[in-house]
This record gives sequence, C-alpha cells and structure tokens, in this order.
Amino acid sequence: MIDTFLEWLRRACLFAASAALVFLVISFGWLVFGRYVLNATPTWVEQSALLLICYIVFLGAAVGVREETHIGVTLFRDVMPSTIQKVLIIFIDFALAAFGAAMLTAGIMLMQFGWDTKLPMLNIPESFRTLAITSCGGLIFLFAGARGLSRLLRFKSYVPEILQEDV
Amino acid sequence: MGLAILLGTFGLGIIIGAPVAFAMGIAAAAAFFYEGFPALITFQRATAGVSVFSLLAIPFFVFAGEIMLHGGIAKRLVRLASALVGHLKGGLAMVNIFSSMLFGGISGSAVADISALGSLLVPVMKERGYRPDFAVNVTVTSSIAGIVIPPSHNMIIFAVAAGGGISVSKLFLAGVVPGILMCVSLAIAAWIISIRHNYPAEPFPGWRVVGQAAMDAIPGFFTAVIIVGGTLSGVFTVTESGAFGALYAVLLTLFYYRSLSLDGFTRAVVGTVRTTAMVMILIAFASSFAYLLALYQVPAKLSDLLLTISENPIIILLMINVILLILGMIMDMAALILICTPIFLPIAKNLGMDPTQFGIMMLINLGLGLCTPPVGTCLFVGCAVGKIKLEQALKSIWPFYLAILAALILVTYVPGISLWLPSLYE
Repeated sequence: MIDTFLEWLRRACLFAASAALVFLVISFGWLVFGRYVLNATPTWVEQSALLLICYIVFLGAAVGVREETHIGVTLFRDVMPSTIQKVLIIFIDFALAAFGAAMLTAGIMLMQFGWDTKLPMLNIPESFRTLAITSCGGLIFLFAGARGLSRLLRFKSYVPEILQEDV
Repeated sequence: MGLAILLGTFGLGIIIGAPVAFAMGIAAAAAFFYEGFPALITFQRATAGVSVFSLLAIPFFVFAGEIMLHGGIAKRLVRLASALVGHLKGGLAMVNIFSSMLFGGISGSAVADISALGSLLVPVMKERGYRPDFAVNVTVTSSIAGIVIPPSHNMIIFAVAAGGGISVSKLFLAGVVPGILMCVSLAIAAWIISIRHNYPAEPFPGWRVVGQAAMDAIPGFFTAVIIVGGTLSGVFTVTESGAFGALYAVLLTLFYYRSLSLDGFTRAVVGTVRTTAMVMILIAFASSFAYLLALYQVPAKLSDLLLTISENPIIILLMINVILLILGMIMDMAALILICTPIFLPIAKNLGMDPTQFGIMMLINLGLGLCTPPVGTCLFVGCAVGKIKLEQALKSIWPFYLAILAALILVTYVPGISLWLPSLYE
C-alpha cells in the first residue's frame, strides 16, 4: 500500500520534472525566435528557466533517491561481509531520510523568509524557488525513510543487490 | 577541527557508499553547524548553486544527445564513418573511433556514446570476427573523446567549478585538438592490434555511397555546428545555443528524418531529467562544499604541501595527474571536477599553467578514470553492451590506456595543443 503510493509519487515527480524540461526547451526556442525574428525578447524566459531548473533538479534528485541511481562509491562497502553491508545500507537510508527532514525544515524556513521577496519578471514570491528544495527534502524523507524501515523490518531476509547475483 | 569534520564526514560517507552529492551536503551542513552558522546555509547555497544561467546549458546538451540517440542521428553518423574509414585495416574499429569523434562531439557524454555506438557497432564487430574484448575496449576508450570534443557539458561544469572566470567558448576550442589527438592515438593502437590479429578491412563502398552517407548525416551533425558555432560567434550564449541545438535536433528527427517516435521522445526527456538531476544535485551541494574548502584554505595548504615535495612544475603537474588518476579510478567525473577544480586549479595557475589547458588536462584525466576499475562507468556499460566480463576486457585494454596516457602527457606538457586554436580565435 505504502509502496504503491511512493511509486505513484515517484512517477508524478518524474512527470512534473519532464514537463518542466519540455517547457524549458520550448520557452528557450521562443526566446531565440522572439529576439531574432520578432525583435522582442520575452524577458520572462530567463527567470522562469532559473525557476524551472530547480524543480527539474530537485524533483529529479528525489526520484534518484527512490530509484537509487545517484552516483556513489560502493567499492569499499561491497567487499565487506553481508551483514555489515546490510547495516550500512540501512544506515545510509536513515541518514538520507534525516538529511531530507533537515532539508524540508530548512526549506520551510527559507520559504518563510522569501515570501515577501518577488522573483524579477515573474512577480511571484521567491518562496516558489525554495519550494523545490523543500519538496525534495520531504520526498527524500519519505522515499529513503520508508525504504530504510522496510529493509530494517526484513533484515534477515533482505539481500543487498550486489549479493543477489550470488544467490 | 571544522576541516576535519568536513573531510571526515565526507570521507566516511564515501567509504560506506552514500551518494556523493548527499555526502557532500551532509558534510557541509555538519561543518557549517560546527562553525556556528545556521545549517540552512547549505540548502540556501544548494538552491543558489543550481539557479545559474550558464548551468542551464547542461540539460540542453544532454537533451540534444538523448534526441540524437533515440532519433536516429547516431545511426547516420556511424554510416558516414563506416563509408569514410571502414576500408582501413581493422575497419570497424576505425569506424568506431571516428563515430565517437562525430557523435561524442555532439552528445558530450561518454556513457551516451557507448550506449549509442556500442549497441550498434560491438555486435557487428563480433560478427565480423573481431574479438569481443577488442570491440568493447575500442568503444569504451574512444568514448572519452566526447568529453573533450565540444560541445561537452563537462566543460560547463568545469567552468562553473573554476568560479566562472573561464570562457566556455575558449574551452570548446581548446578541446578540439586534444580530442582529435586522442582519437588518432587510439586509432594507431587499434591499427597495430588489427594487424597483429589480422582483422579485416571493409570494402570501400565508392564515393557515391560516401556522398550519400554524408548528405544523410550532415543535417544531424549540424546540431553540433549550431551549438558550437552559436557560442563561438557570440550570436547566442552557451545556454541559448544548447537550447537551440536541442530544438533543432527534435525538429530534424521529427520532421526531416521522421525517425523520432513518441516513445523515443519520452525516453529522451526522462533520460535527460535523470542525468540532469544526477549531475546538478552534485553541483548544488558541491557549492557549499567548495565554499568551505576555500574558507579552510585547503587549496593554499595543499599547494604548500606539494611545493615541499618539489618546486619543479613538471613534477608537480605529474603529481596532480597521478592524484587525479587515482581519484578517477574510485569516483565519478562530475563529482571530481567539482571537488578537485577549486583545489588544483590555483596550484596550476601558480605554476603558470593556463586554466583552459588545465581544464582539458583534467577532463582527459578524469575521462580515463571512467574506463578504469574499480569504478569505471564507461567500462561497465561497455562490458554490458558487449556481453563480456570485466576481467576479459581488462586483459587487453592496456594499449588503449597507453594511447590515452600519451595524449594526456602531451596535453599536460605542451600548452600549444590545447591553446593553439583558442589563440587563433582571440
């Protein structure tokens, strides 16, 4: 049930980040067209792009946590005994969840600070930019926390991916 | 003590296998906390770190590469390379290297290069009697060319990590000759091996076929021309060039080649999101990490340390290269560019090295790291594509390592190789 919800959340994040990327590409096409063909540069493009990239990066990063695709050096861990590997993997999950929680808390504070500051050209609160890292924090907390908990609960039967080939 | 917390936390994170980006973020937050700063500075700097206009070029470059991969441009470039150099001894190896030069120059990603060209060429090479390890090794090592031949998103990362004082246009130009040099070195290595193993040459298809292949591939190759030409001419910024190049690739594959399906487009978009997020989250947290490294004067301390060993620039550059090679073996490229540039660039500058030359040297060096175990993304992808074991590839890869090392030494000690072309532009 929880896993289905988290999977739906992952897909929603990936869809939102993908839509933002498509909009980013189209808006830059419009910028070039406006500048050189219409002789009227759409000034909102640059600022909206700087806003959208935050969502692409931070939502994408949360998806990466769920999919476990972030760059990491597992070389040292992989040579350790399987029990230690399991402990370390679960520790990383909880460390990521704690970092996500810190990101969420800091993000909320940053959103509060930035509410009265407007993003130039877009005229929306600066908080919309920090909303990206805030959501990322919340999502990482959920994704990594749930995974860590699930692995901890089935500690005995859980086999790290690196060892699954040997099973 | 603060520095010990920063490096200790980061080192521990790396050893236990935590994602590098988050290891940097956690280490930076801990150091900020220790120094009495609010830890939220880490996240404020992370947001500011990705909201940089020039960094927007990264998703555009990656997207252009993905569209080429899924939209059939890569296939056309291989066909052109095959018509041009396939008749040489070890023809398909030459095709592989030449295709990397053409395709890598556009995608700027070694992994994209291997996925695109490896899946096309490795099975054909095996079928034509080439040893699987040879086919994989040629594909893997030639993919590094994509990192230095412009446009390359790694150059943008380097320019950002260097503090923004380096011209991306100059980096683009500086990468051309070293990229070609690397490909020539690899081609020589492949040629010698081909003679020893008597690998076949493909029949020359005739100039008519060469012409047809060129006509078919040139519109696709124009993606790179738009990106590099737009930036160099000053008509577009590097970000606008990237966006325009990506849009051009979409329109070309959709309406002219008619080879981009909805499924291919979706894959390209999702692939771009994944790669962009993976690379740029590193940049986000590296901005706090690099800020703290500067605060603790790590570059100056390391520079003093290296100078106590030797004051000879040749020796110091050799030591930097060895350190980068070792780090490249265990860590991924983008992370190392972000961590090592603020540390080693000031040292290189003190030795009188041009920052652009240093950048190209660093990219080749770390590129080689992508092909070396134990952490060699390109090597792993290549082995997966070629369906061989890592040990099998490693047994016969050393001539190609030597070829790249030769190019690296030349780029390190002969400034003209990387700086000649930019000097003409100035």
